[in-house]
Amino acid sequence: MKSVVKKIGNIFRNFGESVAKGNLWVKLSLIIMGAGYLGVGQVAKAVLMTVVEAVFVLYMLLVGVPYLSKFGTLGTVQYESIFNFQTMKNEVNNYDHSFMILLFGVITIILIVAFLCIYIANMIYVYTLQKRKEQGIAINSFKKDLRSLFNERFHITILALPVLGVVIFTIVPLIIMIAVAFTNYDQNHMPPASLFTWTGVDNFKDLITTSTTITFGYSFGKVIVWTFVWAFFATFTTYFGGILMAKFINNPKTKVQKLWRTLFVVTIAVPQFVSLLLVRYFFANTGIVNTICSQIGVTDFLTKIGLVREGLGYIPFLSSPGWAHFMIIMINIWVGVPYQMLIATGVLMNIPNDLMESAKIDGASSFQIFKSITMPYMLFVTGPSLITQFIGNINNFNVIYLLTQDVYKTTDQLLANSSAKEVDLLVTWLFRLTSEQYNYKMASVIGCVVFVICAIFTLIAFRRMTAGDKEESFQ
Amino acid sequence: MMKKVVKPVIRHLVLALLAVIWLIPIVWLLATSFSSYQGINISHFFPEKFTFNNYLMLFGAADTVAQFPRWFMNTFLIAIFTCIISTCFVLMVAYATSCMRFKARKPLMNVGIILGMFPGVLSMIAVYFVLKSIGLTNSHFGMVLVYSAGSGLGYLIAKGFFDTIPVSLREAAKLEGASEATIFTKIVIPLSGPIIVYTVISSFLSPWMDFVYAKLILNSGISTDWTVAIGLYNMLDRSLINTYFSRFCAGGVLVSIPISALFVIMQKFYVEGVTGGSVKG
Repeated sequence: MKSVVKKIGNIFRNFGESVAKGNLWVKLSLIIMGAGYLGVGQVAKAVLMTVVEAVFVLYMLLVGVPYLSKFGTLGTVQYESIFNFQTMKNEVNNYDHSFMILLFGVITIILIVAFLCIYIANMIYVYTLQKRKEQGIAINSFKKDLRSLFNERFHITILALPVLGVVIFTIVPLIIMIAVAFTNYDQNHMPPASLFTWTGVDNFKDLITTSTTITFGYSFGKVIVWTFVWAFFATFTTYFGGILMAKFINNPKTKVQKLWRTLFVVTIAVPQFVSLLLVRYFFANTGIVNTICSQIGVTDFLTKIGLVREGLGYIPFLSSPGWAHFMIIMINIWVGVPYQMLIATGVLMNIPNDLMESAKIDGASSFQIFKSITMPYMLFVTGPSLITQFIGNINNFNVIYLLTQDVYKTTDQLLANSSAKEVDLLVTWLFRLTSEQYNYKMASVIGCVVFVICAIFTLIAFRRMTAGDKEESFQ
Repeated sequence: MMKKVVKPVIRHLVLALLAVIWLIPIVWLLATSFSSYQGINISHFFPEKFTFNNYLMLFGAADTVAQFPRWFMNTFLIAIFTCIISTCFVLMVAYATSCMRFKARKPLMNVGIILGMFPGVLSMIAVYFVLKSIGLTNSHFGMVLVYSAGSGLGYLIAKGFFDTIPVSLREAAKLEGASEATIFTKIVIPLSGPIIVYTVISSFLSPWMDFVYAKLILNSGISTDWTVAIGLYNMLDRSLINTYFSRFCAGGVLVSIPISALFVIMQKFYVEGVTGGSVKG
């Protein structure tokens, strides 16, 4: 942390020094960025930098400043459409589009920061060019500079587009989402027809209040508890299930190992939206499993011992709270174990054989070997990916949404008021708030919560992954 | 002696039982896709009458609900473009981080790891906003952008592979006067066949497997715009399911065949990827 502060300090000191000690050309670069290059005779670069500056100024004047000036209010002019009898057409006033103001506001701020960085770097660079000229060191021609983009500075060329993609489609959306959480953007405030504005932390307060009109607090508590319960069980059942299955199949006593492995892999090769939707109808209230269960008397038996409500006549596999929770975790085992089996197979093959051999010679039972050698080794190699999987399960949209959408109806009025269900994860709740209720503000607040949860776990995983050379610790 | 016979039999019986459990839904999918009854058959596991009709109807009789050939084409095109862009991005980032040394390398990689861990689902509403404001919702170009823009973050596996290419090769080329660009295209790329295959397949598969983004972005309700996932999902609408369920199964089988084939090829790289990345960090 300290070194970062120091580095930034250094940059500003260099900038100051460049301004103070630079010659006239360098000083002129404060206003016209290309000037410094003219001083050392680099016309092409001078033009290029000046054009960059001009484009930025033009952008700021035409787009940046108008949007940024409304950023504080997110617009004040309401959309109005008046029918003009002379032209027989609807005429729309020059209204403010709150979302565009938000979006371009954020983009403009990012551009300003980027431009400032270029500006400072430019000053420092121009000054070093001046010093070089004074000392008589050769200065790269523009052609040489261009060529260096394919040689020693090739990384700039090949990283530019991927980084740009990540900025536009990952970083900007995250910032926008966080910003929307502090506004009242919802069904009643949909641009362009109406405006939305900043509301501070009201939405966050709503998320933890339970009253006669707002039930988000109640739902949030239920949903987040289930999210963690689900993530815990989904991660560990598939993890250990996969290891056990891999051990079982890879045992030398098992014949035709490849065939068994392929049989299980077939199930994950089918896309989830096919297999999960299918399973949903498989276990439907009037589905084939229920028919078979009632024919062989399972339904009656379960009714008798109280697991199925009296008079229901079917097993509510995916439509009543307890059953659905249980079934979702079970079906997830079906989906997830083959994946883990594949990974575990790869890892198990790498366990140093001499470890096993020596343990056997010392008289260890196979359970002892599993407990003291196989598991520690597995945990060591797949530990970080276990945390990644946990995060993945917190956000496991597919399994929950495909299994319960349209099938599961909540009877809890408090949950229904905030359009949540007992089986919802934070992300599926967020998704339905967005796509069905257009309640963007609350969806964004939930997004922020998920973001924080992910960030905490990510940092834990990240510290483990970069903790240095732990490779030796197992041996 | 008895014990020696019984034990392996039990072992294989257990495996067979597990395999049956795992395959039941797949068998049901296959069986229903040949069913002459168009809705969900709830009284029998296997259909009473088998027919090819569902497959023929998928291709022959496209109506406003079922446009299977069209969806297949849409998804295929999206997948091809996604695949090209993603593969380029991944290879470029992997080369820069593995074979080149520059000041921002470590910080960039750290930021990459952190961003890569945030699941895509999280930022989807905001991505939707961004696409909407530039008018790219309900467009296949928008879908390609969504699938491929962030793909550079998935560079770790390719980087791990590039790390294993001997440094001496690159140094020799440098002594001969080759630029980094030449080394990248003429030496490193030709040596990384397996990892290119892996990247190509995995990025080709993502549009076929994805459901969330397609549902969010292609929301106009015009069935000719859809991808396979959305189209098949729509067949299960309450009002349609009784006439389209067996066709849904037929469509599911048709999509699964090419995907499974690609998946099996990719499978062995997949294992290396997950475990390899964790050790190198």
